[in-house]
Amino acid sequence: MVRRPALLTRPLRGRLPEPPAALTTLPERFTSRLHDERVAAWLGIALGACFLVAFCTGLVSHLMQNPPNWMTWPSRPVNLYRVTQGLHVMTGLAAVPLLLAKLWTVYPRLLQWPPARSAGHAVERLLVFVLVGGSLFQLVTGVMNIDYWYAFRFFFTTAHYWTAYIIIGALLIHVANEWAKTRRTVMTRPADGLRRRTFLLTVFGASGVVVATTVGETVSPLARLAVLAPRRPGIGPQGLPVNKSAAGSGVTALARDPGWRLTVTGRVRRELTLSLAQLQAMPMRTARLPIACVEGWSAEATWQGVRLRDVLRMAGVDDDADVRVESLERYGLYRTSEVRPPHWHDPLTLLALRVNGEPLDLDHGYPCRLIAPNRPGVMQTKWVERLVVR
Amino acid sequence: MNARTLTHAAAYAGGLALIGYGLSGIVADVPVGRWAAWFAGAAVLHDGVLVPAVLVAGAVTGWIPVAYRRVLRGALLVAACVTAVAIPLVLGYGRRPDVPSQLPLPYGRNLAIVVGVIGAVAVAVLAAQMITRRRRRDAAGGGAHRAVPPPKRERGK
Repeated sequence: MVRRPALLTRPLRGRLPEPPAALTTLPERFTSRLHDERVAAWLGIALGACFLVAFCTGLVSHLMQNPPNWMTWPSRPVNLYRVTQGLHVMTGLAAVPLLLAKLWTVYPRLLQWPPARSAGHAVERLLVFVLVGGSLFQLVTGVMNIDYWYAFRFFFTTAHYWTAYIIIGALLIHVANEWAKTRRTVMTRPADGLRRRTFLLTVFGASGVVVATTVGETVSPLARLAVLAPRRPGIGPQGLPVNKSAAGSGVTALARDPGWRLTVTGRVRRELTLSLAQLQAMPMRTARLPIACVEGWSAEATWQGVRLRDVLRMAGVDDDADVRVESLERYGLYRTSEVRPPHWHDPLTLLALRVNGEPLDLDHGYPCRLIAPNRPGVMQTKWVERLVVR
Repeated sequence: MNARTLTHAAAYAGGLALIGYGLSGIVADVPVGRWAAWFAGAAVLHDGVLVPAVLVAGAVTGWIPVAYRRVLRGALLVAACVTAVAIPLVLGYGRRPDVPSQLPLPYGRNLAIVVGVIGAVAVAVLAAQMITRRRRRDAAGGGAHRAVPPPKRERGK
């Protein structure tokens, strides 16, 4: 038995006027026996696993996009980011049926009377509200975001990131509160003949259907099954989906300008100004790399271009230099991206000029784009204009 | 203090610290009012609208004969979950004229097909159940007029 301070355990009852019985006996009026501790426990375990995976993979994406100074991400394995973000979105989608079923299962407890037995109980319930509100918030806005429906008037990425800490904190407390009960109910074999397994398998089946009709947006052999995915590998200019068009970014005229030059500047021994023809005259390399989006879709393509390290060596840079790749875009959060040494040293990192056997489509970053292994899609800068070495 | 109280206290301390960290970020980087409206709004709509709707569906399907009820409810559960996740796609507010590869599929039709497949599976399961039930009844050696099978056969099984 946990001993708590008297202030937290003192009953709150008696301070409230006694309400009608119809209100105080609501939880007893639920007839389905599936509003049950054991069902809630199993759903909670599955949901907790999904949230933990989503939290960790989300953190990976955040840290890859905003690495602290002491942190350097490797450029291999090539598909690390692709896998973590695919997992992030798929576990989030799978969590939708799990969360709805879990909340239905425990719904009678929402209506318990008195609403709080003690101050400690009130705090516990407030934290459950934080967990429930946060979980619904993350899943609702997350699903809307992968479908590009920005009905909420705040920046999704920051809200999603900070809310994740709130629900992980509330989840930690919830796990501590429910641990003993969950352990007991999961470890004992029930003898009441209730068909929990059928219900649980149906809920897991719902998660399965949701994932099966979406996962092809990142696992391309299953692309044809992805009938309810916001993306399909193979659909888009040159067989590759696009997130941001040249027209939408306002770079069409600049990108088509024959006077386009790539400049390499900053901490270099020789500043370079290269025309498209000069770039094309350099040794061409081919790399098979995915565009992997934080929204969970990814698609592989065959890229051809100049190794970034060849260009940087030509300009004469130190081995530990950081490089900022700048786009023709004049505004936008993702108009530049940072390339740290492991990535620019990697022979697969290209300033791509061609994709799938053709010159880059305007929407894929013509005349020149960055493409590197194990890197978020928003950092595969398109319409590259300048490399600034630091 | 025993070990359990200690773990409890540690979980509360860690959890509250994480919640505090998240909230500080929200206050610093996100319009708090709009964020709170979606945070609380999601919970209120879920508890006040969605679950009551599900409870009504449960009450309505309660009228269906027991033999069909379980399969039908299962099919409804799966179809409703898939529909809930697919609604933003079907509404298609995320379409942009300059990015045709964004939401490129006919999602209304696709959702109808998926729901249709779920329905077909439910019908198949029901049919299979009915056949096994009939076989079992036939194997038990009788129709409605011989509800109790002879004990001899029972022993032979």
